[in-house]
Amino acid sequence: MKPTIVKREPVVDDALDQCEARLTEEEIEKVINEVIDKETGGRLWTYVNTCIHCGLCAEACHWYLSNDRDVSFAPVTKVKDTIWVMLEKKGKVDAAFIKRCSQIAHTECNLCRRCGMYCPFGIDIAYMLLVVRRICAKLGMVPLYLQDTVHSHAATMNQMWVKPDEWIDTLQWQEEEAQGYVPSARLPLEKEGAEIMYSVIGPEPKFLAQLLGNITVIMKVAGLDWTMPATAGWDNSNMAMYSGDFEIMARVERLHHETAQRLKVKKIVMGECGHAFRGAQYDGPTWMGWMKPPIPIVHAIEFYYDLIKSGRIKIAKKAEGPITSQYPCNVIRNAGLGSKLQYIMSAVCENFVDLIPNDRHAFCCNAGGGTINCGPPWKKLRVQSARLQSENFKRTGAHTIVTPCHNCHSGVEDIVDKYKLGMHVKFFSELLIEAMEIPEHLKPKEEEAE
Amino acid sequence: MSNIESWDWEIKEKMLAEPAKWKDQFEDVWEPYISPDGEKIASIVKIGEGEFNICVNGNTWEEPFEKMWYSRFSPDGRLTALISKDMEWTLAVDGVALEETYEYIWETKFSADGKTIAAIVRQESGYGILVNGKVWECPIKLESIASHVISSDGKTSAVIAQTVAVAEADVNAFTKGSWSVVVNGKPWKDNYVDVYGLAISNDGQRFAAEYRNSICEYGIVVDEKPWNEKFGCTWEPVFHPNKSDEITVPVRQGGQWLLATNGRIVWDKGFFSLLYQTYSPDGNNIAAAVAPQFAKWTVAVNGQPWSITFGECVQKPCFSPDGRKIAVIAKDSGKWLLVVDGTVLGKDYDNIWQPVFSPNGDKVICKVEKNGKYAVAVNGEIRGNDYEALWNPVVSPDGTKVMICGVEGGKYYRKVVLLSDI
Amino acid sequence: MYEFVSGPLVWLAFIIFIGGSLYRIYKMLSDCKKENVVFPHMSLKHSLASLVHWVIPFNNQYMQKRPIFTIVSFAFHICLILTPVFLLAHLVLLDESWNISWFNIPDGIADWMTIVVIIGCIFFLYRRLTDPVVQNVTDGSDYLLLAITALPFITGFIAYHQLFAYKTILIIHILAGEIMLIAIPFTRLSHMLFFVFTRAYFGSEQGHVKNSKDW
Repeated sequence: MKPTIVKREPVVDDALDQCEARLTEEEIEKVINEVIDKETGGRLWTYVNTCIHCGLCAEACHWYLSNDRDVSFAPVTKVKDTIWVMLEKKGKVDAAFIKRCSQIAHTECNLCRRCGMYCPFGIDIAYMLLVVRRICAKLGMVPLYLQDTVHSHAATMNQMWVKPDEWIDTLQWQEEEAQGYVPSARLPLEKEGAEIMYSVIGPEPKFLAQLLGNITVIMKVAGLDWTMPATAGWDNSNMAMYSGDFEIMARVERLHHETAQRLKVKKIVMGECGHAFRGAQYDGPTWMGWMKPPIPIVHAIEFYYDLIKSGRIKIAKKAEGPITSQYPCNVIRNAGLGSKLQYIMSAVCENFVDLIPNDRHAFCCNAGGGTINCGPPWKKLRVQSARLQSENFKRTGAHTIVTPCHNCHSGVEDIVDKYKLGMHVKFFSELLIEAMEIPEHLKPKEEEAE
Repeated sequence: MSNIESWDWEIKEKMLAEPAKWKDQFEDVWEPYISPDGEKIASIVKIGEGEFNICVNGNTWEEPFEKMWYSRFSPDGRLTALISKDMEWTLAVDGVALEETYEYIWETKFSADGKTIAAIVRQESGYGILVNGKVWECPIKLESIASHVISSDGKTSAVIAQTVAVAEADVNAFTKGSWSVVVNGKPWKDNYVDVYGLAISNDGQRFAAEYRNSICEYGIVVDEKPWNEKFGCTWEPVFHPNKSDEITVPVRQGGQWLLATNGRIVWDKGFFSLLYQTYSPDGNNIAAAVAPQFAKWTVAVNGQPWSITFGECVQKPCFSPDGRKIAVIAKDSGKWLLVVDGTVLGKDYDNIWQPVFSPNGDKVICKVEKNGKYAVAVNGEIRGNDYEALWNPVVSPDGTKVMICGVEGGKYYRKVVLLSDI
Repeated sequence: MYEFVSGPLVWLAFIIFIGGSLYRIYKMLSDCKKENVVFPHMSLKHSLASLVHWVIPFNNQYMQKRPIFTIVSFAFHICLILTPVFLLAHLVLLDESWNISWFNIPDGIADWMTIVVIIGCIFFLYRRLTDPVVQNVTDGSDYLLLAITALPFITGFIAYHQLFAYKTILIIHILAGEIMLIAIPFTRLSHMLFFVFTRAYFGSEQGHVKNSKDW
């Protein structure tokens, strides 16, 4: 098979370059064969040997479509240029090849699983690229900023190097903020036996602390019995899953789920994040040997759906004007929450303008799968390769895009910025907090409000 | 639980407080905690804007604080809380705050007798451990403390700490090692990429932890000396209850989990998953939660799994005092179950707390939850009435009585029941 | 020569085809079993749901978006399987040897179905040569597989119409058919065997495990 013609502007990523200089071919061969023999089985073999090279997956991929149908971005090409070669050469490949594998698997694929859904055979191409990531990770070939994030997970059990005291301190500060809206609001720490443990991802305490205040208000208005841990285990996100460091992935997920068990809650409710749901619901538990998490985990979309549908939260004033929503792959295509997202969007928006394509067929924001965490070196190509979705957003004519996922939020902000869409990007909870009714008895007393 | 013999094991029932009434007295009442002997019940209460206090059996401390949290009773019955005044934090014990304040303080821990109280503090000079009012002296600046342990005699405390500052995204510095263990303020000689699962021997003399040197290279380090063996992954080590030179750890090799003691594989079988290895009181047997296959959980005793399996999970096994029986909480089809020696006892529940055995092992007593109410269950069957709040039952030292503390009809009761009666 | 290719070689071809297929399926299943998570993730309901949406034309969004490919592909695969199984000439041979027979397709229709298969092969060849994505993942083996698939139908068509050298063409036709049978379990033509399984797994993972759909 002729090599793929790849035209890319060169990207300098120190971690990849240093790793390329360090790796030996013996080491590469050993790790490739170890992963293929010990960590894969019938699935990988069947996928590779069933693929009839029809190329139909290309039309599913936003990288391919956004880059003027550049063949080198097609899903089948990504497999051809990585795992096919590793299998064919039985691991006898060089460091430059592994570096290219990391570029492909870590920075040019979001593992969004849209191609799998469009393959006539249901070949899970994203799974194969995750195997490639695993091999790269074991060899240390991981883009710098992604690796740094994984180091944060490994050292602190959260994504953003948040220290234990900073975490608690932030919660206590946001509890006070929430009390500005609803004086009796409380953010209960370490409350054993509460109904709900609420967990978030690292960036919330680090950069978006107001979201913690918002949830404190929402929980109070909905009258729920909830808690948050004052220990590590509060972060549900997991970039180790995406780098391919599954041992750290499992350690993070184990702690998260054991924290819920320690607090004796009935369920974990998690904030608006897609990949975190994937890690906490599927990948982490699967590695641990759990069919599903010991304490069920509920994504924010489903949580808000239940609150609105049951009337625990009433909508006082719907958001005005056309508003659209991104469909985060990991909770829509890969968790089936599409119709619930449409329900809550219609409930809080006067004019919810749906994307085309929508629901599980919607395109990725191109930030998911850890690609945004690969950091500044890779940003230009990433945002350029989201052109298709920028056109889809533009067509809605919305003034605001709701992103019930942190990766989507950052990715869509990049899209809005680069393609000059002039739209706002918000989390669903930010719309909800504006739209929901705060019962009279919970409102600040007149004199305090002034 | 110190001085358990001197607790009141005679009076059958005491109504000690009416927490339900506190709600009328204060703006907000937080979840209650009780003293180990059951004589006191305490809740943090909000008395006004930025003013908190703690209500113990109906009486508040003299001085309120700007913020309060983490109210915990020490084993000797003293009530502690983490408090803030003038934007600085410190520890308060029985209403008296330490003079010294800190930028932050958290994770209060106690020695077995309760005489030693320790917590992690942040000061301008870095992080440290506050032990009985004094922060330990450490020759280097600790950049962060992930967790701390304290020996049961209270003489030793140890932490997993970041000992080297690492700049943002400096992956090379990180992989050189920036974490270590610090014992009573003295850092271990080596740094590691990561350190996890710090354990302390029962005699308080020895320390073991997991360390990571590169992505899939894990090992165990005991008192600064790593085992020769390396593994694909490890979970937290535990010490033999009586022999402080024996350490057992789940280790991952060739894609499966095995049990290793002092570096040597001791169980002949590997598992899809292996967690919570637990020594019997005499140290002769080890039980662990295992999954022989994906999503089939059980307990293995000395490597032999029970034949019964559970679809969701199994928690930490618990030996009877004589070491002959093992109880564990398992989950299957959304329900929690009490399992003893491979047999499910009694009904399923919405929640089950860690069980305790009667001294001869024939009764397993635990707190359970069903339909939002709590009760005491013996061998899996509910005995006695429902409670709005309930604490773990405690068996008397002579093994004849059980203390049950709970809130019924808004009132807090401490009851002592004959074991034979339940 | 004719006796040899239409006698012992047919036996051999079928033995290899059936035996090889069973072995490949067995091997795949046992390798999947070693992976631990594969079978616990499977569900019959979601496997069938996925198959229903992918074996009925235009029953999923992707096919609706690609009408030409869908029509050609379905017509090709249907004719590819039905023509040899229900061709009168094949059934006559079966009847002569084993005295068993079943419904046959009238020769005129079978002839058109053969043409459909050949057109399908030409279509796929055209895609391989012109579609840049397909081109990029095509090597000699892909052309060879296409040739293995097309040859029995091309030679069958020539033999049926007795265009030239009937006897030679007939021998080549039988050989071509045998080569194709043998090739199925050991080449990527095995998608014929594995299609059901890959679909069932992806359908199960999307439906049973991830509470979504794969169509």
